[in-house]
Amino acid sequence: MLSRAARPAFKAGSALTIRPVTAATPALQSANYATLREIEGRLKSIRNIEKITKTMKIVASTKLTRAQRAMNTSRSYGQTSNTVFEEAETKPLESEGKKTLLVVCSSDKGLCGGIHSGMTRYVRRLMTEHPSDYQLVIVGEKCKAQLSRSNPKDLALTFAGIGKDVPTFADAQAIADQISLLPEDYASIKIIYNKFLNAQSYEAVTVEAFSEEAIAASPNFAAFEIEDEVLANLREYALANSLYWALAEGHACEQSARRNAMDNASKNAGDMITRFQILFNRTRQAVITNELVDIITGASASEG
Amino acid sequence: MAFAWKAAGITYNRYLAVAARVVRRSLKDDKRLAAERRGEMDLRFAKWENGKQGESKNLAEANEASMQQAASGQ
Repeated sequence: MLSRAARPAFKAGSALTIRPVTAATPALQSANYATLREIEGRLKSIRNIEKITKTMKIVASTKLTRAQRAMNTSRSYGQTSNTVFEEAETKPLESEGKKTLLVVCSSDKGLCGGIHSGMTRYVRRLMTEHPSDYQLVIVGEKCKAQLSRSNPKDLALTFAGIGKDVPTFADAQAIADQISLLPEDYASIKIIYNKFLNAQSYEAVTVEAFSEEAIAASPNFAAFEIEDEVLANLREYALANSLYWALAEGHACEQSARRNAMDNASKNAGDMITRFQILFNRTRQAVITNELVDIITGASASEG
Repeated sequence: MAFAWKAAGITYNRYLAVAARVVRRSLKDDKRLAAERRGEMDLRFAKWENGKQGESKNLAEANEASMQQAASGQ
């Protein structure tokens, strides 16, 4: 308060123009105070954000261990189911005019870095190589939102509600059922999911789910002595197995990606907090120094 | 080989799911609760036609409805 009162007196002594200066100084000072308060407010909000991201990281970490366990079991399960086709040397049929169905396994939730966009990019690359050869079935809202913008005509089915918890086999079965009920006949079904390489890196890969003709046409198929009637069952079951595998692995990737993303976010928030703390202290000191200068100059002016 | 469930319009996966549910329900209480959580499914789905999203429906109900339709169609 004193400085504001003292300054006009000092300025009046030195300069002739009183009006503009008196008008300018309070504005300047209140601006100083405002920035100080502004910085304080931002500091507070960044601290809150850090708290939130830290909590999300912890949640993701605990979910990750469960997801990884589910992934490991489902992976061996899916691989065992695929051994049949490896032994039979099943190859996808190259049939003209039939489309390939792409099943994209993402999830509903975001805040986990670029793993959904990575998958979308992979799908788009496939689609640009052979346009109009593919139809899409999308599991999860995130990839749906991205792909419905670029390829709305190619979508056949979308599923939502996945990603709350570790995917169950019932989920995979229900999706497989709905896919096998699709009216169109597909040359083959490709399931796209994020493969878990390690905690830092994932890669969009495909597993093949073959059509009945492709299974029947495979070279070593006779060795299994499967009757034709149950072939449809095998196909449906294999589709559910592969889907389960893909969903579980994608879920583990997502949790691990979310953990990393939240870790980075907390780190960045910490950096910002230190930066803003330093700025806050500097500004506070500057304001105090300014006030002192004003007081002293005012005092010396009124003395002299 | 004709299966009774095939004639009823049930797919193999549905058949498995029903069988699994029966096994889960016959477990003892403590094990049953953990096992039944593995059988939960709460998905919604939507059909797309010509770039337009159709109505969002509950997947379990839709599956049952389509199977009933398949059964009556035969």
